[in-house]
Amino acid sequence: MLLEVFLVLGTLLIYFLFSKKDEETLPFKDGWWGRGQKPVTKEDSSIRPFKVETAEEELSDLFRRLDQARFTEPLENSFFHYGTNSVHLRKVVSYWKNQFNWKKQVEVLNNYPQFKTKIQGIDIHFVHVKPPCLPEGQAAKPLLMVHGWPGSFYEFYKIIPLLTDPASHGLGDEHIFEVICPSIPGYGFSEAPHKKDFNSVSAASVFYELMLRLGFSEFYTQGGDCGWLICTNLAQIAPSHVKGLHLNMVLVTKLGLSHLLSILLGRYFPGLFGFQDEDVRRMFPFLKKWLHKILSEFGYAHIQTTKPDTVGCGLNDSPVGLAAYILEKFSSWTDMEFQNLEDGGLERKFSLDDLLTNIMIYWVSGCIVSSMRFYKENLQKGIGTQKHDKLTVQVPTGIAAFPNEILHIPQAWAKKKYTNIVSFHFMPRGGHFAAFEEPELLAKDILQFVDKVEKEQLWKKKGE
Amino acid sequence: MGDVVCAVPEKTSLRKRKRRGEPGIVASLGAAARRARADMWRETLPNAWESIMSRIRSFDYSQKNAVLVPVAALGVGGMLLYWLRSGRKIKTIDMGEGWWGAGERPPKGKEDTSIRPFKIETSDKEIEDLHQRLDRFRFTPSVEGAAFHYGFNSSYLRKVVAYWRNQFDWRKQVEVLNKYPHFHTTIEGIDIHFIHVKPSYVPHGQAVRPLLMVHGWPGSFYEFYKIIPLLTEPAKHGLNEGDVVFEVICPSIPGYGFSEAPHQKEFDSIATARIFHKLMNRLGFKEYYLQGGDWGARITTNMAQMLPQSVKGLHLNVVFVTLEGLGKVISIMLGAYVPWLVGFSREDARRLYPFMQKNIYDVLRESGYLHIQATKPDTAGCGLNDSPVGLAAYIMEKFSTWTDKSFLHKDDGGLESKYSLDELLTNVMIYWVTSSIVSSMRYYKENFSKDPNIHNRVGVYVPTGIAAFPQELLHAPRVWAKDVYKNIITYTYMPRGGHFAAFEEPKLLAQDIMQFVRKVEQL
Repeated sequence: MLLEVFLVLGTLLIYFLFSKKDEETLPFKDGWWGRGQKPVTKEDSSIRPFKVETAEEELSDLFRRLDQARFTEPLENSFFHYGTNSVHLRKVVSYWKNQFNWKKQVEVLNNYPQFKTKIQGIDIHFVHVKPPCLPEGQAAKPLLMVHGWPGSFYEFYKIIPLLTDPASHGLGDEHIFEVICPSIPGYGFSEAPHKKDFNSVSAASVFYELMLRLGFSEFYTQGGDCGWLICTNLAQIAPSHVKGLHLNMVLVTKLGLSHLLSILLGRYFPGLFGFQDEDVRRMFPFLKKWLHKILSEFGYAHIQTTKPDTVGCGLNDSPVGLAAYILEKFSSWTDMEFQNLEDGGLERKFSLDDLLTNIMIYWVSGCIVSSMRFYKENLQKGIGTQKHDKLTVQVPTGIAAFPNEILHIPQAWAKKKYTNIVSFHFMPRGGHFAAFEEPELLAKDILQFVDKVEKEQLWKKKGE
Repeated sequence: MGDVVCAVPEKTSLRKRKRRGEPGIVASLGAAARRARADMWRETLPNAWESIMSRIRSFDYSQKNAVLVPVAALGVGGMLLYWLRSGRKIKTIDMGEGWWGAGERPPKGKEDTSIRPFKIETSDKEIEDLHQRLDRFRFTPSVEGAAFHYGFNSSYLRKVVAYWRNQFDWRKQVEVLNKYPHFHTTIEGIDIHFIHVKPSYVPHGQAVRPLLMVHGWPGSFYEFYKIIPLLTEPAKHGLNEGDVVFEVICPSIPGYGFSEAPHQKEFDSIATARIFHKLMNRLGFKEYYLQGGDWGARITTNMAQMLPQSVKGLHLNVVFVTLEGLGKVISIMLGAYVPWLVGFSREDARRLYPFMQKNIYDVLRESGYLHIQATKPDTAGCGLNDSPVGLAAYIMEKFSTWTDKSFLHKDDGGLESKYSLDELLTNVMIYWVTSSIVSSMRYYKENFSKDPNIHNRVGVYVPTGIAAFPQELLHAPRVWAKDVYKNIITYTYMPRGGHFAAFEEPKLLAQDIMQFVRKVEQL
């Protein structure tokens, strides 16, 4: 396993030593993702209101499956080291059957206006929340927020009010947003692509069309996990439309000689490599915080990149299996130490209602398999091999670096790709699911970033 | 002289440390042992040396030379020989001890060593429950043109499920499974399941050789059902390999099928090897043959490393090689151009190259299951123990791709070109009715979280036979296998067949086992 990783890293190293960065834009990726042949007639571009619905049958089917779930006893003293602990899972399932109220949660979901519109052959679902009130003369700033895996648009439900109505939450009223949270095609209520090759650039192109269709020619984007990649691609496709790009997660896919040197020596000569003390604290010891973590936490990515239809198959049939698979991430990726707890620390940062609502979105839409295919479409040719990996990002970028994020990327590394970093902050607490776990911290960081961009009219400056 | 003694152990341990990668407990114990040997030499030597020196100083010049030079030569030679041999001294794996039952190990009381006959049973309730789950399975349509590239194809899965629901007869298959005698016996706190098949007729004077055959993942003892009659009654099946006849024992690895799953952590292939030795011992065998593929290859190799005196011969259809070490890297690079220089045959070169494609990309593409099972088995297996269709897709995907890589391009995964649906589903049912998928996956975590090279550093000296099947995932040339298997008696390039050799090509495998055993008996 170690050898695999090193061989891949080594190959990339050699390859990228000889490649040079490009400042061109990423081409828009047109496509047709519907079933069969693309029809000759023009696509229906209407925007239709949408409401999440449920039926008795859906619930009774779910309960029957929960009742008949077959569990396997965990090994003694294994906590969450072998994955989701089935003793705790039983408790979650019991809550799910007896206390969780899906009908009530559906009403919660429908609190925000949702819509569907057909783009490139598939129905795109999105939430669109406008500010309840705007001060005289002020326009709402459009903000596109993109979720990741195994999340959904629901992750943004706590942060939306902080952005559409900041004044009511003590965050001032200088910048007020109207928020658009689409579901990535293949996730939740967005239709899954029927053709191969729907990758992050395809998603970015679809969301770009969405924003244009909604009448926005300039907007902000925010994302983490898959959302990080899609928003980055969007900024590369249409830099003149993206006023600012805010990220709560960054990954680098090009590791060159300088990266290698900074890994070997960065702990001892941080200043030499542009590392701050907090960077060093979060990145080292390297083996433990990077290599071991990649090996121990990325099995899901490996199997989803190679055999998504196989691994997702059972999960679309067993809600308990689906819950175990998804909850494990909400445990480890919020705090790796949670693996040492019998309950995986799940309810320390999230309520069971919230966690189960997210899982139910995957369950009722039957989208787990298509959500996993996104990994294959993006990574099957290898990490860092695509055109967008080689291009930089010139739009003003703000990065919120959360301490329990899976991998920490220092600003010194990020700025090689994001050439126009306007703000980079070490957040005091929080993990991978930033909007879900620490909505206020994230909202504040977005606001200060937008403030900087607006005050200095940074989006008008073309590239650095 | 003192310099030579000090320098040599240092160099050895450094080389071995580099080969190791991650240090483990056993590895550091080994290093400590080597240091202890070096210390011993440093202590006894000066005293002996002193007494010799004083004796020699009393001689005159020419006598001194006459004595000193040969003594020096012998001394240096002896040192070198000792160093050379100590690196290759026949070491064995420590047998160790274990307790895998629930809770605390009971105080010193004799374990129940009875061997209890066992029959697989089923019930209406079990079948009814299965049918209900098959009926309510929720399909996800594949992307267009996916074949088996995204994993198990959904359209073909629908056909499999329809067959499973309407034509597959589990009661009939249970009778098939029960045609060989099954048993249970308790070892180290857990119930070990095995089948034990003796030849029905043995001509007077013919020796019946005991043969332990160990399955792997996602297989089971059932994989051996077609090869068993070829081994217990070869003459009846047109195989006459010099009157070699076996009685076959096929256990289920603890955590698989009808063997109880360990309740404690760290149950690895070494614990399994020890338990299987105890099983054979309990059955009254002092010496026996071993055969295995997949985990079975690892377990039987460990058995040979643990108690070589009990293993008459070891036959494998899978050889695990590590690609570490400068020597290997060089032979990989040169082997594409001058295979003969690095000990590759033409067939080796054909199977190994293009190297990156076959050994790196293909392995990365096929090892996702290994990665997730070695890290989060309880998560990966949870849904599969609850959805029989999910379980079938997960398991049968391997029977497709690991039988023939080109099956990836087929809409039906080529499954029924080599196996019947009845056979494939029976294997899946064994995992289903015993709820053993999660414990079977934990085996990966228990084996991969330790020092992976401890096995390869201890050589295997028992007579070994290797059947190299062309569609096996990774090809191990004889010259690499020799690193670990020091006593290869036969190495055969099989004409066809993949990973599940006994299941797919029972006759080819049986013939190779027999010709291997014949050679061993002639030694």
